[in-house]
Amino acid sequence: MESGLLRVDLSTGKIQREILPHSMFERWVGGSGINDWLLWEHFLKHDIMCDPRSPENVLIFGVGPLAGVGSGIGVKGRLTFKSPCYGSFGDSTGGGKFPYVVRFSGYDYIVVTGKAPKPVYIHICNGEVTICDATHLWGKDSAETHNTLRKELGDYPSEAYTLSIGQAGENQVGIAGVVSDGWRIHARCGGGGVMGSKNLKAIVTQGTQGIKVDNPAGLLEWSDGFRQKLDANEAAYGFKRRGTMGAVEMYQRIGGNFWRNNQGTQFRGEEVRSDNWVKKYHKYSEVCSSDCYIACDGRYKIEGHESDKAQKYVGETFRHPEYLTTASSAGALDVRDWAEVAHWGKITNDYGIDNQDLCCSISFLMELKQREIISDRDVEELFGRSQSLEWGRMEDIETLVEDVVFQRNPFGWLFRDGAYHGALRYSEQQGQNFMKYAIYGKGGASFTEEMRPFPTWMNNMAVASRGADHLKGIGLIEKFQRRDLSKAYFNGRTEAGDPTVPELKGASTALIENQVALINSYGVCMFHWMLDPLGYAPESYYGEVYTEVTGIDKTKEERMRDGERICNLEKAFNSRLGMRREHDTICERWMHEPCPEGPNKGRVAGDMFDYVLDEYYEWRGWDKETGLQTRERMQELELEEVADVLAADNALAGERRADRAVHVDVKIADDPGIPD
Amino acid sequence: MQETRQKELVNGEVWYSPGDDVPNVPTKLFALQNLCTDCKMCEVACSLIHSPEGELNPVWTRIKIDHAPQVSRVSKDGFGFMPAICHHCANPPPCAEVCPTDAFYYDPKTQAAVIDQDKCIQCMECVPGCPFDTVFVAPTGELLKCDLCGGDPACVKACSTRPEMLNAGKQYSRMPVLFYEEKAAFGQILRQKPEARDEVGIMQAMLSKGKVSSAA
Repeated sequence: MESGLLRVDLSTGKIQREILPHSMFERWVGGSGINDWLLWEHFLKHDIMCDPRSPENVLIFGVGPLAGVGSGIGVKGRLTFKSPCYGSFGDSTGGGKFPYVVRFSGYDYIVVTGKAPKPVYIHICNGEVTICDATHLWGKDSAETHNTLRKELGDYPSEAYTLSIGQAGENQVGIAGVVSDGWRIHARCGGGGVMGSKNLKAIVTQGTQGIKVDNPAGLLEWSDGFRQKLDANEAAYGFKRRGTMGAVEMYQRIGGNFWRNNQGTQFRGEEVRSDNWVKKYHKYSEVCSSDCYIACDGRYKIEGHESDKAQKYVGETFRHPEYLTTASSAGALDVRDWAEVAHWGKITNDYGIDNQDLCCSISFLMELKQREIISDRDVEELFGRSQSLEWGRMEDIETLVEDVVFQRNPFGWLFRDGAYHGALRYSEQQGQNFMKYAIYGKGGASFTEEMRPFPTWMNNMAVASRGADHLKGIGLIEKFQRRDLSKAYFNGRTEAGDPTVPELKGASTALIENQVALINSYGVCMFHWMLDPLGYAPESYYGEVYTEVTGIDKTKEERMRDGERICNLEKAFNSRLGMRREHDTICERWMHEPCPEGPNKGRVAGDMFDYVLDEYYEWRGWDKETGLQTRERMQELELEEVADVLAADNALAGERRADRAVHVDVKIADDPGIPD
Repeated sequence: MQETRQKELVNGEVWYSPGDDVPNVPTKLFALQNLCTDCKMCEVACSLIHSPEGELNPVWTRIKIDHAPQVSRVSKDGFGFMPAICHHCANPPPCAEVCPTDAFYYDPKTQAAVIDQDKCIQCMECVPGCPFDTVFVAPTGELLKCDLCGGDPACVKACSTRPEMLNAGKQYSRMPVLFYEEKAAFGQILRQKPEARDEVGIMQAMLSKGKVSSAA
């Protein structure tokens, strides 16, 4: 197993080609594991405390060895960088065709450094790399950019697919995402802001270079078996039909939805409370990521008769809203019409901005206004105009989105790095503490699901290396109350599947973080695994096909250790930045304010928080007091050289060096200030 | 003798004698229009089976996913996808008919017309000769045409089953996009009215009109 690595320095225009050796895959598996190592190596040579928007930051794209080989588990690309909005480790995942086509372009990994003097895009075709002028694309949204580039580059030798930023990325908004194929966004952590700061509008790829597979016959046999297993899986058909939308109704039942800045746990609008929208809207095309046997996506079109508001969006086409698109609009902002939810999904994708952080910024202000904590005059000062902050009014919300995307008033500047930093800056500006109303977890990242009654989720939000997020350690054992999974993983104990007790919650966070690290490193989608977490275990079942493709044969335990090694490297990155136990935290509302309604009324996260976090550190083998890694554990994971770097930075438990100052505070992105 | 017979040319005058069974392809590929998700798994599986040394590369594929070719009543944008498949036309297949070196012969097992690479002079006449654009050219110049994988097409096995065709109790309760079926059996499948599938306008209209990409 070998892969092409491309290094592009945009400052000098220098292009380097390297081969990633087999040993790299043996240690870091591929995909996000290799990305993490490349990021770590980069910041051994560069100042890790640099401003994430400076040319010193790096943008790494990588795709794992299982992507595009016809296994049927989907294709996911990975972007890794230092996050401009959270100031910590940042990565994001996205599907579509780009990560598939990139595998045939000659390079599986692309490392971009420096800053171009003017807007450019990188064109990769069968190993040839050109840095092209993108002045004509600057100002275009991600979909337009994709379509324009496709027209320009044509279909030879293969169709061109793009990874591009919209206007949010161009304006270096911290919460801007990177969009693949013009419609699937790598949303989290602000990769778009990093790309924008490098004047890089897009990466385009075409290619017809083959992928060498270690054992083609074994791969075909495994794929046939996997497809048969999926065909027999009833749950897969729910996914095929409506993607993640099934979660809306399920969360209504278990009280897991997020309503009006989490002042409630149930959606109110009749229409958005179920997924009946699939029956109302006109699906005009099936479409999905490459190499996926589920294919949960689809393209829809608004014809105007579907609902009251649909008339406004006649002819608009959109991919069907996923759960978090719905939760961020129908939930957080209380939008009650499907056409508007779809429109929200479309504009955030087109502008290329993360709708989680964005909606929580907006809902934070809406709640302040609802509680009359801020006056009309304050609002006018913030927006530079009179502005309605009523819940659920899509036309107003759209204006607010544009304020952030185009950075056109104090609201846009203050909230460009999401709800937490926005709330901090606004509190400081107003001389009042509004933090009680900001929704965030680790790093200041926002997330629109109810956390209080679900200890594993709350712990995920507090420890995820890339900032609060569900895709690092998705707590499916607990949320689906899977006592069977708990039994299988924890020697017959069932507590991990019971959300009312704190036991094994930290343990299941650690376990699933390792598994997810493996899945992301394989370069495949998580959904298939979630359908049957035991049957499709990444360390054993997916591990078999990884062996067929790469020739790397390992035991189940060794694979789990690979996953753990990757998690530890991400942790080490954050420790170098000064993150300690006190940074593993969640917002005040989740921590102390009782759950207002639903089956879990009265629960607060604070009851179990410390117990679960302690247990998590215990299972990780980290120091409970500081939250730092220990040399013993790092040695077990063969990360001795990482431990040395940590020790030199005073970021290893029990080893303090006097010659270097301790970083006491995480340096988040510089306050943008308010331009005149 | 049998060997020669199997390689009997299908071009022009050189034909089966009167009274001989015309080797129509009894079981062949069919595709349902616009239900395709563009997942490209058929292309990948095809290339894995056919490429030299098991290299995985869509340039070796004999099936290609296209954008929907025409703007229809239900799909005004002409957006959806459909696999461009070899239709295994009845005698004489147009691709074989235009071949100057009579390089096409019948696979004895599937009756599919396939290319004898030793005889092929890579003149590419068969590429425009195919009315469905399903003869492809490999980077080596080799002409590629569907050979039905000797009776067990990899693309059909790789094709994702779609839930929109839910029709409990029938043979195909869940349909893929690609089928390897006898013509009559495929007609039977098409007659299963997908009443339960109310969310996909396109397929319903297509099926009620009997429009499929491969007319039997």
